Amino acid sequence: MMGDAVFPVLLSLRVAVLALAIVAPAGVALALTQARARYRLRRLVDVLILLPLVLPPSVIGFFLILVFGRRGAIGGLLDSVLGVRLVFTPAAAVIASAVVAFPILVKTVQPAIEAVPVELELVARTLGLSSIAVLLRVTLPAAWRGVLAGLVLGFARAIGEFGATLMFAGNIPGRTNTMPLEIFTAYQTGDDSRAALYVAILTGLSVGVVLVANSSGPRAMSR
Amino acid sequence: MSSRALAVMSPCRTVVALLACASTMACEHKGPEVSIAAATSLRAVMPELMHAYDLAHPGSHSSATYGASGELRQQIEAGAPVDVVVFAGERPVDELIKEGRVDAASRRIVATNELVLVGTKGGPPVTFETLLTLPDGDRVAVGDPRTVPAGEYARDYLSTLGEWDALQPRVVTGANVGAVLVYARRGEVAAAIVYATELRGVTDLVVKDTAHGDHAPHPKVVAAAVHGGRTEGAEFVRFLSSSAGGKILASFGFGAP
Repeated sequence: MMGDAVFPVLLSLRVAVLALAIVAPAGVALALTQARARYRLRRLVDVLILLPLVLPPSVIGFFLILVFGRRGAIGGLLDSVLGVRLVFTPAAAVIASAVVAFPILVKTVQPAIEAVPVELELVARTLGLSSIAVLLRVTLPAAWRGVLAGLVLGFARAIGEFGATLMFAGNIPGRTNTMPLEIFTAYQTGDDSRAALYVAILTGLSVGVVLVANSSGPRAMSR
Repeated sequence: MSSRALAVMSPCRTVVALLACASTMACEHKGPEVSIAAATSLRAVMPELMHAYDLAHPGSHSSATYGASGELRQQIEAGAPVDVVVFAGERPVDELIKEGRVDAASRRIVATNELVLVGTKGGPPVTFETLLTLPDGDRVAVGDPRTVPAGEYARDYLSTLGEWDALQPRVVTGANVGAVLVYARRGEVAAAIVYATELRGVTDLVVKDTAHGDHAPHPKVVAAAVHGGRTEGAEFVRFLSSSAGGKILASFGFGAP
């Protein structure tokens, strides 16, 4: 019973960390691109990045099943070529969390990068640093507060995912029952003390996230 | 909108207008109402039953919400304003009776059902006993035993067959029996355990096996009136137990009580 109660905690942590591992590099890279580069489809990309932030979670879940389900475009391919089925697996929970965390991370990191004076980067270039080195050694360190805020906010959103996860990964005890889903099930079965445990953990986590994100500079948050 | 009109439409008026809209959305029917909490497995037959009940009781207006019996039980426990419950098992009803939320005297078994194993038409044969021999990666959908009576019946039956624990890695749980059926229809699972009545009008799935033997479950549809609900609630239960109600239930594939 004890291990059974701990499982959702470990699962949620694993899912959120993996989701962040996927989202952070891609998100930071995209934030850099959107902040610095000017290209024709920039506005469209901006819209696509923001979309999962605005879409209702059940809509996201629906689209994920549409694409990755057994009869979906990508899902069907994965099944026939690799024998991989994503629906109702922890991997699906990771994907759902990654999708919802992505826009938050990008939209938090992007203003922080935009706030870094371009002159700093130009000076670094004149001193001989390559573009990549400039990004890694000048831009990102200068924007570290925003990057940190983006990471913790993304993590919080990833660990709190419910609707899309429920549809895409299911709520399977011992496999995909993350803490938010387990709270719902515990409530439905009248197990209030079990629900309270996960509520306490998630609330504590969220408070921590907000403290870190908020203290990471008004610059990062207010743009 | 002219700037004058904007100035005239003060915040107060906007709030009042919004509240008026909201209250009309919740407008009350003027005749006797029956509010029913019904198990998901009854979603096809309940509209017919409600229609027949309303015809037999002129002026009456019945409405239903559907969900897993365990889920509905929780809502009623928390005080949801429902007049009658019609659940897919005895346990949730009896638990509500024990908590004093439902009237024991009104409790009736109004129909029975069968537990079946379904799969896609043209798919390989499989039975309850051979579930463990399904190809690796093939999954079986079952209602969540904690809240779905169909899932509880399935768990108990598979446990007597000695398969439940070994089947766990393949099991996909659905929040209600309707979701379990949908997983099968979507092809996300190779087999699903639902009620026989779920297949009515469904052409892309077939029954692969029916629960049988001494340990086969006997799913029951149980109705009872909720304490503090309208008296029409008990009347609805009587209707379900009547020959008129029984006929409608039978036409939808339910067995006699």
